[in-house]
Amino acid sequence: MEISNLPISPSIRSKLLSKGYTSLSSLSSISPSFLAQELSVKLEEAVEVLRAVSDTTTSKSAHIPYGIIPGAVTAWDMLSEEQMQRHISTGCEDLDAILGGGIHCKEVTEVGGVPGIGKTQLGIQLAVNVQIPVEYGGLGGKAVYIDTEGSFMAERAYQIAEGCIYDILDKFPSNSREFLSCKERLQVNNFLAGIFYFRICSYTEQIAVINYLENFLTEHGDVKLVIIDSVTFHFRQDFDDLAQRTRVLGGLSLRLMKLSKMFNLAVVLLNQVTTKFTDGSFQLTLALGDSWSHSCTNRIILHWNGNERCAYIEKSPSVPSASAPYLVTGKGIRGINSNFKRARIM
Amino acid sequence: MMDTEKEDFKSRLAPDVTPNRQLPWLTGIELLSDTNQNKHFLPTGLEGIDALLGGGLRQGQVTEIVGPSSSGKTQVCLSSATHVVDRNFGMVLYLDTSNSFSPFRISCFVNQLHPSLPKELKETSLQTIMSNIYCQSVFDIFALLDLLHHVETTLKHTVKLGGSKLCLLIVDSVSSVIAPVIGGKNSQGWCMMASVGVLLKRIAYEHNIAVLVTNHMVGGENGTLKPALGESWKGIPHIRLLLSHGTGNNRGTTTVLKHTLMASGRTANFVIGN
Repeated sequence: MEISNLPISPSIRSKLLSKGYTSLSSLSSISPSFLAQELSVKLEEAVEVLRAVSDTTTSKSAHIPYGIIPGAVTAWDMLSEEQMQRHISTGCEDLDAILGGGIHCKEVTEVGGVPGIGKTQLGIQLAVNVQIPVEYGGLGGKAVYIDTEGSFMAERAYQIAEGCIYDILDKFPSNSREFLSCKERLQVNNFLAGIFYFRICSYTEQIAVINYLENFLTEHGDVKLVIIDSVTFHFRQDFDDLAQRTRVLGGLSLRLMKLSKMFNLAVVLLNQVTTKFTDGSFQLTLALGDSWSHSCTNRIILHWNGNERCAYIEKSPSVPSASAPYLVTGKGIRGINSNFKRARIM
Repeated sequence: MMDTEKEDFKSRLAPDVTPNRQLPWLTGIELLSDTNQNKHFLPTGLEGIDALLGGGLRQGQVTEIVGPSSSGKTQVCLSSATHVVDRNFGMVLYLDTSNSFSPFRISCFVNQLHPSLPKELKETSLQTIMSNIYCQSVFDIFALLDLLHHVETTLKHTVKLGGSKLCLLIVDSVSSVIAPVIGGKNSQGWCMMASVGVLLKRIAYEHNIAVLVTNHMVGGENGTLKPALGESWKGIPHIRLLLSHGTGNNRGTTTVLKHTLMASGRTANFVIGN
């Protein structure tokens, strides 16, 4: 690898190139103090440069690995891992069915829709559902809720957690011995305590919190869901340079992808809509531009179908495009059928 | 060059030229026979695209697939990986930048391959095929460059042990790691994009591998979409295909944007099976 590909600052790189150091081997046997003198930089910066050089050379000249590259996994191993993976239920069975079980971990899912369609409701529902204990079919993990608009309401989260617990106890027989031990965990206060809430007020804070998330997630290993509500808000109004916005967002999405893969969690991004002039007419599309539409693994669009709320899977590598209706009830997001069931019992 | 002069020249060059490395020049006849014997077409598994490409992905060349969101780029990559391993061309390395590699989807493609096989044979074939597809996640351009250098080193030092050799390298998508670094006042990003391009072409040519990369689209003038990464990237892939949404689910249209052997502008329809 040449000097031009090292992760060092551009000013130091241009100094190296102007002094004639063009390949890694030319830097292999130089002491830091000599390099600092040559380039007229501080000793610490010279040490950093040499460390970057040694990192790249050791990774290259390490013994030839067994596989083609270290860290590569075969699809067969990934398949068995994937089949054991649990998904996060959305609360609506139809929506879970078309998603292939629910929101997948290790993937970034984008959910977009017009205002009032239920994006924040879905976000809060997922933050509650991820905490359903493993014995009841959930993940038993915690959630990080990054709120940029201030639309998270703790009272609503309380209501949704209550509704979720009520439905679990309804579905599972409460006299079974193994369930008794985790029944104590099914308290609304525990569910609320399992949501880590961040309130951010500018795009710099948003970038900072995503950078900070890696440390946070290393400390709190049981977090299984990160929700950002909404990822668009601060980027729509404060940014003048659209090209820079695209670059910053591209970097953000790569970081989120890396977090989801590294910590085996699901990332859900809520997005707003905007109008776009295509094919001679104005159409509703998700905000943040064309490049952003490629930065997620899955995309779900929430829209109105007459008087009904509908969720449409627009992009997914593993499930086909499909649509499912859902309801926003007092207990949270539910499917259409569950209401009818209750009507019949009554 | 006369044969004796050639031998004389070769012997004088011998200390600098290692046995595995090809001599820097070949005659046209040698090139043509090498192309006919060694440069195979790797199938993508989608008939329309294979027919458009004259057989499939060419070994030794870099093919790029461009398309708007959700037009089928990842599906084409997954389908190619499955079909290439099934026909025993070798191993596949899939570099994934958006966590879109879906083992479940690969198993669906495998099950469509030989529908008439009995169940046990299907199981073993599934395991064999999926054990020959390697996947690695890449999330920034430095990691990508590092990985590609590593692949090059491994390929140089591996002698064919009778096991499978790498025959298809997929980068899905190369634009999402390059786009955040290009643009802006610093020209460093363009330099790294060029490094990636040159490295991919070198790996393809020297080790007879087909390279498949995907690219996304950005807004151009008048609201039309154009491929991302700009004019400088246009010259890097040998073949560029544009995918667009079709009428129904799983249907699409391919257009040739650039090809080394045939005229561009030809289109074909393709269907991605369930």
